[in-house]
Amino acid sequence: MGILRDKRTSPSPSPTSTSPCADLKTAYNNCFNRWYAEKFVKGQWQKEECVVEWEKYRECLSKHLKDKQLSRFLEVEASRIPLPADRINRKSSVDGASMGDTGAM
Amino acid sequence: MVKAYKQEHVYQHPWERVTAASWRKFADPENTNTLSHILEVDTLNRKLEPESGKLYTTRAITIHAPGPWFVRKMVGQDICHCVESTVVDGQTRSMQLTTRNVSLQKYVEVEEKIRYDPHPDNPSAWTLCRQETSIRIKPLSALASMAEKVEQRCVDKFLQNSAKGREVMERICKYLEAESSGISI
Repeated sequence: MGILRDKRTSPSPSPTSTSPCADLKTAYNNCFNRWYAEKFVKGQWQKEECVVEWEKYRECLSKHLKDKQLSRFLEVEASRIPLPADRINRKSSVDGASMGDTGAM
Repeated sequence: MVKAYKQEHVYQHPWERVTAASWRKFADPENTNTLSHILEVDTLNRKLEPESGKLYTTRAITIHAPGPWFVRKMVGQDICHCVESTVVDGQTRSMQLTTRNVSLQKYVEVEEKIRYDPHPDNPSAWTLCRQETSIRIKPLSALASMAEKVEQRCVDKFLQNSAKGREVMERICKYLEAESSGISI
């Protein structure tokens, strides 16, 4: 799906293409974008979708957290970003453990 | 020293389309030329509350911010990591994004808040985007006057980038509009 009409013949190497999780990320993003536009905004938010894509992508990410210096994000997220109380106390069955618990760090 | 500024923009597209475009803003490879300062975006966490229709997402954003040579010398890097947390309320139709820098906090704290709401004058067809950015340079006595220059450059850079961001958003909205009319025919 091209947003630009002119397709570049030799696209500059996208930074995401060097990421080991690039394909899984794209698969997840495509699934998420479809779900968001076709279901979530139409009020169909009862069922979480793209679960398989999310699990695969997250597993890959957590393996590569160190390479990508992402571990700092999680520390900061945990300490700084105010979360609604119910989000901290409740764990969704789909969401599972936070990435910090996967043992990758 | 804190610099803060506000911007408003009206998208002549419905909220559903604009927020869908917002998710695609950094992810579509077609935009990497315009938003070349965005190096990488990863989703770190997501949570859906099925009963309330709220969607929480946390993403890591890596930004390339080269700046003047003395800044590179001072901070020792030209890559900035940010965390973006988003709450979408499907019931009230609002989307709020908050982005903060994680790296370089010793020198600068940037917080950007963006809200997308249905436009009060035309809630089913237009979307109001309100953006608030605050940039705070940490007071380093010896570097204070230099820091002020850095701060101004930060503001300039942010204004440039948010204009580019709007350009990309408008482009994605048009694309989504064409796509949806194609499907519904």
